[in-house]
Amino acid sequence: MLATNSAGWYRCYMTDVLGLLFGPARPGNIGGLAALALAFLSGCPSDERPDRSGRLVLALSSDPGHLNPAITTSGGVQTASKLLYNGLVELGAAGEPLPELAERWEVEDDGALYRFYLRRGVQWHDGEPFTSADVKFSFEEVLTRYHSRTRSSLATVLQSVDTPDPHTVEFRFSHPYAPLLQQLNVLETPILPRHIYEGTDPLQNPANRAPVGTGPFQFEAYRPGTEIRFVANPNYFKPGLPLLDDIVMRVIPEKGNQVIGLETGEIDWLFGIGGLDRRRLEKNDDIAFLQNGNSPGGSNCIMTLSFNLERPILRDVRVRRGIAHAIDRDQFLERVLFGEGQVARAPISSGIAFAHATGLGLPDFDPAESDRLLSEVGWVRTSEETRMARGIDGIEDGTPLEIEFLHFPTFAAYGQLLRAQLRSIGIDIRLRTLEPSVFVEAVFSDGDFDTNIISYCNSTDPEIGVRRMYVSSNIAPIPFSNAARYRNAEVDRLFDEARATVDKASRTALYRRIQEILVEELPYFWIVETVSTRAYRTRCNGFKLYGHFADSVSCN
Amino acid sequence: MTFARIGIRVAQAVAAVIGVTLIGFVMVHSAPGDPVFALAGEYGDESYYDFIRERFELDRSLPVRLVTYARRVMTGDFGTSYVLGRPVLSIIGERVPATLLLTVSALFVSSMTGLGLGVFAGIRPFSTRDVGVTSLTLALYAAPVFWLGQLAILFVAFRVSWFPIQGMTSAGIQTEGAAMALDIAKHLVLPTLVLASQQLVAVSRLTRTGVIDQLAQPHVRTARAKGLTNQIVVVRHALRLALLPVVTLIGHRVGHLVSGAILVEIVFGWPGIGQLTLDAIRTRDMPILLGLFMVMAFTVVIANLLTDLIYEPLDARIKYRSA
Repeated sequence: MLATNSAGWYRCYMTDVLGLLFGPARPGNIGGLAALALAFLSGCPSDERPDRSGRLVLALSSDPGHLNPAITTSGGVQTASKLLYNGLVELGAAGEPLPELAERWEVEDDGALYRFYLRRGVQWHDGEPFTSADVKFSFEEVLTRYHSRTRSSLATVLQSVDTPDPHTVEFRFSHPYAPLLQQLNVLETPILPRHIYEGTDPLQNPANRAPVGTGPFQFEAYRPGTEIRFVANPNYFKPGLPLLDDIVMRVIPEKGNQVIGLETGEIDWLFGIGGLDRRRLEKNDDIAFLQNGNSPGGSNCIMTLSFNLERPILRDVRVRRGIAHAIDRDQFLERVLFGEGQVARAPISSGIAFAHATGLGLPDFDPAESDRLLSEVGWVRTSEETRMARGIDGIEDGTPLEIEFLHFPTFAAYGQLLRAQLRSIGIDIRLRTLEPSVFVEAVFSDGDFDTNIISYCNSTDPEIGVRRMYVSSNIAPIPFSNAARYRNAEVDRLFDEARATVDKASRTALYRRIQEILVEELPYFWIVETVSTRAYRTRCNGFKLYGHFADSVSCN
Repeated sequence: MTFARIGIRVAQAVAAVIGVTLIGFVMVHSAPGDPVFALAGEYGDESYYDFIRERFELDRSLPVRLVTYARRVMTGDFGTSYVLGRPVLSIIGERVPATLLLTVSALFVSSMTGLGLGVFAGIRPFSTRDVGVTSLTLALYAAPVFWLGQLAILFVAFRVSWFPIQGMTSAGIQTEGAAMALDIAKHLVLPTLVLASQQLVAVSRLTRTGVIDQLAQPHVRTARAKGLTNQIVVVRHALRLALLPVVTLIGHRVGHLVSGAILVEIVFGWPGIGQLTLDAIRTRDMPILLGLFMVMAFTVVIANLLTDLIYEPLDARIKYRSA
């Protein structure tokens, strides 16, 4: 095997040497023609991919540590490893499922049975054939155990994964499960090779650092803290792809230096660039931008203010509504995000088109209405700058309206603007900056906060990214779940019903009803829908915002 | 230094490393921020967190964990990283060379430049050159390392592109040997200069004071009276004794260098233990953090030990005797 290969390599090499010596093949150039003839006779691949060219250099913010996206939801690992693997489906620009490892599928029993017909002839990077056994293994032994998101959504409802033959997989659920297809892309449920992981501890398998996938690129080198290199997978199942020769991912911890790298040309692609840098680089002809709601941390994210409903001062909906009316969300969009994104119009992101409700009438910026509501409750404004309690049940008269606000260091600008805005209405916001893991403990384990801001990513289906914020079973030490400690039996029931409803129109109606209740009760206030902006050097083109972002890229 | 004396110093060193490890263990485990949350990320459920807790033995009490940890360390097992799933020693081991290269070159540059500047300023105290050197070194010392690094990147690397901006090697480089060494050297220049600039001031100030002090001593006056050249007087008579406190200082700066390297490594994307430390703190990867504490404590202890050993041949007045 090896011998044939190297002989082949030698023949092709000679062809190239002849070609170099004698110039391109054209009538009258005997040497060049001889080279061409030799190539033809020896079966060397002529350049079937005229566009395959170049190297893409991109920046990672930290060393991901390993490249197994099936055992973690870490954005760093997912960003770095996505190109190595495939999911059963790919999600298109509008979130619609497209064939990937599965060529086609059937949904039966009202959504309790999904049958996938797998693509034939797909090979792992080490040459082994890909079969339904790999899918079964990935779901049963890895994803529903070690991938926290898949485990919490599928582990309890997925009854079995069956493999009637090597090219068919059946997912059977205990009851109808609607969102499955939205969860089968490479980001959520990458398929791992069974022959490498079976019988090992997936968290410690050496392949996590020298991975084998089916994706458009294959692993080449890992230099800790420095760079990771992938080369094109010559046997990729999508004909003609990928176009690049290789991809180098550089570890650049400082965001500012990533941007400088882009400007000098050391870097071709950045997964994220801030609004201010974008404005500055807009005049640069060598740099272009792509924007959508998917970021490495998740997709369709909304910057959301949570009210701790267990705090006496926030229990009255009029107080929450009063605060909401005092918030000028356009200013957040302009001053914090530099215009990138949009003001939220509903609890569910506009990125999930079928579930996003319109015309809900979220509280708009109205200081007079805010003043009226707060005064009505008993938070009155005297000569003092801060409102005081007068005749409110359970709150001592004269208590100033001080509200604590927790945020990550990266969201400090939100806190400062909020404090400035609410001060004018007589609310004193006390900012507390907490590092993420400490924040999570304070908010979700201890419930020790008044308000906070979280970037809640709604994902591609409300079942995955929205439900967790509102169902009462999530009033528990679970990070980024029900921060508000919101409890509403009808909302719980509606979410359960929506999960088991496959018909899109019926689901739309259910999610609309949920959103109407939420806007009425305001356990949260939805500030802005954020977008993620990628920046790239125009010497490279063909980037996509979904699926494998770089499989059809070429760089000159 | 006698063997007994060395033995005592080594025993002290071991005790210091054990002490640091103990304090580190308690601090890391009582710091806020649950490693399970850092590890599991969003969208988990309780069964998942319990599973992770059990797997990494985080459900046990602190004393139990400490005993287990100590027992493992005795057998040379420093644990497995929560996040990376690999042995701590191999993870730290692959980052140490980069940090070593950076700190050793920064130590060399700062010591040599500091000495030079110190002597240069010290032989003419309170002259223009003395004031110039003092102002320059103090300014460098006062500048935060991340600011200095960022400026260096903006002007020296970005504007005039003399040096690469980030990393230890060029993107996708696949050479070996001399070409690789040259590539690393190019990347090494800026981080070394920035790290050294912070260390410079102490060395240069102390050298200056020592030189001024020694030049006023009787033995120097005698040397001058004997008609020795100025160069010989300064180098042989004044500098040799002036060096004593400087050597101690340089030895003790090693610890500072390692901590300074953390910031420099982040600014310049240098793949050493500094970057690793930051990542480990973010993800609450306790086994790695503890391993790093031990490595750093060990480095400082070794540097101090070496300082003591070098001291003796430098100063004829010091002789360690067994009591």
